[in-house]
Amino acid sequence: MAYDDFRGFLDTLRKEGQLLHIADEVMPEPDIAAAANAAPRLGGHAPALYFDHVKGFTDARIALNVHGSWANHALALGLPKETGTKEQVEEFIRRWDTFPVAPEWRGNPLWAENTLEGEDADIFRVLPLIRLNDGDGGFYIDKAAVVSKDPADPEHSGKQNVGIYRIEVKGRRTLAIQPVPMHDIAQHLHTAEERGEDLPVAITLGNEPVISIVASTPMEYDQNEYELAGALRGAPAPLSRAPLTGLPVPWGSEVVIEGVIEGRKREIEGPFGEFTGHYSGGRNMPVIRIDRISYRTDPIFEHLYLGMPWTEVDYLIAANTCVPLYKQLRRDFPEVQAVNAMYTHGLVVIVSTKKRYGGFAKAVGMRVLTTPHGLGYAATVIVVDEDVDPFDLPQVMWALSTKMNPAGDLVQIPNLSVLELAPQAITPGITDKLIIDATTPVAPDRRGTYGTQVRDLPETAEWLARLRKLTAAR
Amino acid sequence: MSDTTPLCPRCAHETIEHITGSPVPGVWEVLQCVRCLYMWRTTEPARRTRRDAYPEEFMLTPEDIGTAPEVPAVPPLRLPGAGAATR
Repeated sequence: MAYDDFRGFLDTLRKEGQLLHIADEVMPEPDIAAAANAAPRLGGHAPALYFDHVKGFTDARIALNVHGSWANHALALGLPKETGTKEQVEEFIRRWDTFPVAPEWRGNPLWAENTLEGEDADIFRVLPLIRLNDGDGGFYIDKAAVVSKDPADPEHSGKQNVGIYRIEVKGRRTLAIQPVPMHDIAQHLHTAEERGEDLPVAITLGNEPVISIVASTPMEYDQNEYELAGALRGAPAPLSRAPLTGLPVPWGSEVVIEGVIEGRKREIEGPFGEFTGHYSGGRNMPVIRIDRISYRTDPIFEHLYLGMPWTEVDYLIAANTCVPLYKQLRRDFPEVQAVNAMYTHGLVVIVSTKKRYGGFAKAVGMRVLTTPHGLGYAATVIVVDEDVDPFDLPQVMWALSTKMNPAGDLVQIPNLSVLELAPQAITPGITDKLIIDATTPVAPDRRGTYGTQVRDLPETAEWLARLRKLTAAR
Repeated sequence: MSDTTPLCPRCAHETIEHITGSPVPGVWEVLQCVRCLYMWRTTEPARRTRRDAYPEEFMLTPEDIGTAPEVPAVPPLRLPGAGAATR
């Protein structure tokens, strides 16, 4: 089932018992962030949180942890909330096969009900902003989809970008944004700044849940996020034109902020508690000038807590990091069976593969490092045999403990690129990378003393299904 | 330090700007340091609002601000017809 707006999804979460309404009065800080920090610890069926009684505000509505469990992630994709992690990734792969699905253009967008322009475009009048972690430099917006175009090819809809980036509120009409150099919007900004131009942007908040998923998917530069949304939704994504910039934005957003990234300008930003579970330091980063804010009456501020994993962001960027890597690897290496890149946005990637010949697994590992996402993220790649489930960490540990010999199975490559937020880099942005070959050597690689491996009994799969059914019926 | 003339909790600068107040009048204010741009709400815990309780690991000095890395780096200008890149 496809949702056309954020509120439709909240209704489903409520009906499924996956939305917790906190009606008591809470402090804007530290209560709301602390609750969202705690929520994922409720497990794989943790609920979304909804606050509407916040001290000092008259009509604040704040939703967090909306994607913060596998149950909620399943519901976002229209799957039963009990769907397992591996099954959600497999379904994601199947739906991606229908990509691209063209969007549907609609009039009368929901966010057109109210407008603030120019000096009146004060973000504090629209959003109940809150701080997340203690050391954050200010209030952040970190679950908005930011839309921009390639200034050198603005009519190419594939080269437009919809992405989620950290955004700090720096003033009533001033924001900061973090375009990591590996990300598409950084390429747009680079082109604009080479020309001495500003980069127009539309920042959309409170989107239907698949928009958040595609906006945080590491797609290729010329792939259109809205066309992936259509594939994942099973229905075209409804879009409208933002009134000031003309940028394509979701029809059902709660809030659309328009403005420009001011070209060739940098200003102190941060720190911010990041997805790595560590703070970034203070850095000089680009500045956004807000020119117009459009919003639904009584807008809901969708926010996301992130800190030491796992938090909501780890669910949001789990399946959608695995799948593009899987797709890109399979083009060259059809032997690849599955990819688990759900730990810290793929700083560790686990790949299961068949082997053509000795040394093959290391080639697969090297390919991971040169995918567009791998260039910025994959720091450690673990390659396992085709019968090891990379989503089953005890199986992966078994492979490491019995198949991997440091003599020949550890490939360390010096001074490769990594995003600047990676804490382990000695020089930010540069790190050594590691491939761990935990596959069984095959000819002509004759290392090890592998006899005949114990396999599942032929009847085990049937019994697994039977036991699951009996367990569920208890 | 008094509540009426706060120092920036993070960098100890003395010039603080009033950004906004609570929609329910008088409950809280949002303040910002004009030097390090740290922003806070007056009802936040002392560890975020008071210089004497602010954690040392989050403090910023003018030198920290002046030497902060540029992310992403500003590229050289390449204006049409300008020939070689200039900056």
